[in-house]
Amino acid sequence: MSSYTETYKQTNRSGRKNYLYLTLVMAMTDFKVKYDNSALGYLWSLLKPLLMFGTLYLVFSVFVRWNVENYKLYLLLGIILWNFFAEVTLNSMVLLEGKAAILKKIYFPRWIIVISSSLTSFLTLFFNILVFFTFFTISGTRFSVSNLLLVPYIIELYFISVGLAFLLCALYPKFRDIHHIWEVFVQLGFWATPIIYPVSIVPQKYHTFIFLNPMARIIQGSREALIGPGGEFLAIPNHIIIISFAAALFFAGLFLFNRLSRSFAEDL
Amino acid sequence: MIHIQDVSKVFLLPHERKTTLRQRFVSLWQKNTYEKFYALRNISLKINKGEFVGIIGKNGSGKSTLLKLIANVFEPTSGKVCVNANVAPFLELGVGFQWDSTVKDNIYLYGALLGMGRREIADKYDWIIEFSGLERFVDAKLKNLSSGMQVRLGFSITVSVDTPILLVDEVLTVGDIDFQQKCYDSFMSFKKNGQTIVFVSHDLNAVEKFCDKVVLLENGQIGEVGNPRIVLSKYKSPERI
Repeated sequence: MSSYTETYKQTNRSGRKNYLYLTLVMAMTDFKVKYDNSALGYLWSLLKPLLMFGTLYLVFSVFVRWNVENYKLYLLLGIILWNFFAEVTLNSMVLLEGKAAILKKIYFPRWIIVISSSLTSFLTLFFNILVFFTFFTISGTRFSVSNLLLVPYIIELYFISVGLAFLLCALYPKFRDIHHIWEVFVQLGFWATPIIYPVSIVPQKYHTFIFLNPMARIIQGSREALIGPGGEFLAIPNHIIIISFAAALFFAGLFLFNRLSRSFAEDL
Repeated sequence: MIHIQDVSKVFLLPHERKTTLRQRFVSLWQKNTYEKFYALRNISLKINKGEFVGIIGKNGSGKSTLLKLIANVFEPTSGKVCVNANVAPFLELGVGFQWDSTVKDNIYLYGALLGMGRREIADKYDWIIEFSGLERFVDAKLKNLSSGMQVRLGFSITVSVDTPILLVDEVLTVGDIDFQQKCYDSFMSFKKNGQTIVFVSHDLNAVEKFCDKVVLLENGQIGEVGNPRIVLSKYKSPERI
């Protein structure tokens, strides 16, 4: 009978070779819904991060006065990257409930849901980076070739976020309150990562702890790539550390997700 | 084509369902108590290529669970389900739409969910719109359509897929007479093309009219299987009530 099962799996695979297309269509429909199918919808969605940026900028640039060169850009970049991380990981849990109706009725590999939603967020990240470059140009900073060093950080950021999204999404049906717990962690992470404050104000002895967090390394590295000055975070060892983190998270997430996603249709 | 071997599906129904860490923490010292519910018990069934099979039975007899097992949405607790072809499932109402998107976007999304590629959907797009009778509503958001229209759309996309096996679960009761007729017509052409249809319904007239074979489920077990007239008369006979 095993040959029967094998044929089943084979035909299922060859009969359903459009997973890539499905992923893209899902991402696009979600993107359109998110921004109400209009450019103004996107502008509207910028209000939240810009307001957040404005408030923090007011507090820490006018009231507190960090001594950071280009603090505006420094802060904005941190917020944009962190928001992507927060959005992908938090959305992974919400979207499972949103897609419950489909999950219960049609078979398709469950990872498509997580990937397509991460692509939607990635598209948002892309536009946000364009907005960042607008500020970048306005503030009179010059472009240079080293700006391209941002690209590997974005890729690493993507895999870390998606890996965590897989983990959280897999656990969510059994532990619903993990969503609230993760929200708290995202809050904590926002302050534990040098996003609004410069690393220089952190006493040297705590640096090891701060940079145990791969997000801190990514954000710091991106800043060095775009705003400068270039430093240790642009160097290869930093990438090796981040990539190890990203790979471990991604594969652990994918593994757990594949184990647990088979019962999604029953648990939701 | 579809081979179901000694399949059981057990749902563990906890007396108190724990879905959060908090609940688990609070009741750390309490024992979990379950009710074991056999939705299906040792079912064996063979459906050949080109057969039109009806599944009937009372509420809770396991009809939908059986379809979900064939559609690979559920995994059997024990036994084996072998389906050696692509399946287009059409299960229950509401299907899997994105409510805030337009009819057009939903056709592409749902078509992709059923395994079609972009070109294939584009080719069938006009046919789907015409069959569902939604020409005027292409750009309307799905949530603004009536439930009948939504079902029509879902069904139209499903039957447009070139699939060897079609699973239909109790949906046609929502459409009006004209649309029901259209559905039955398309069933007939499916049958002519040698496609396999598994059809769950309480509409016994339709079952008798279309099906080659009828499966009667009773409390998760096969009560009777075979010729529609014989199975139906057994189902309807008073001593079973």
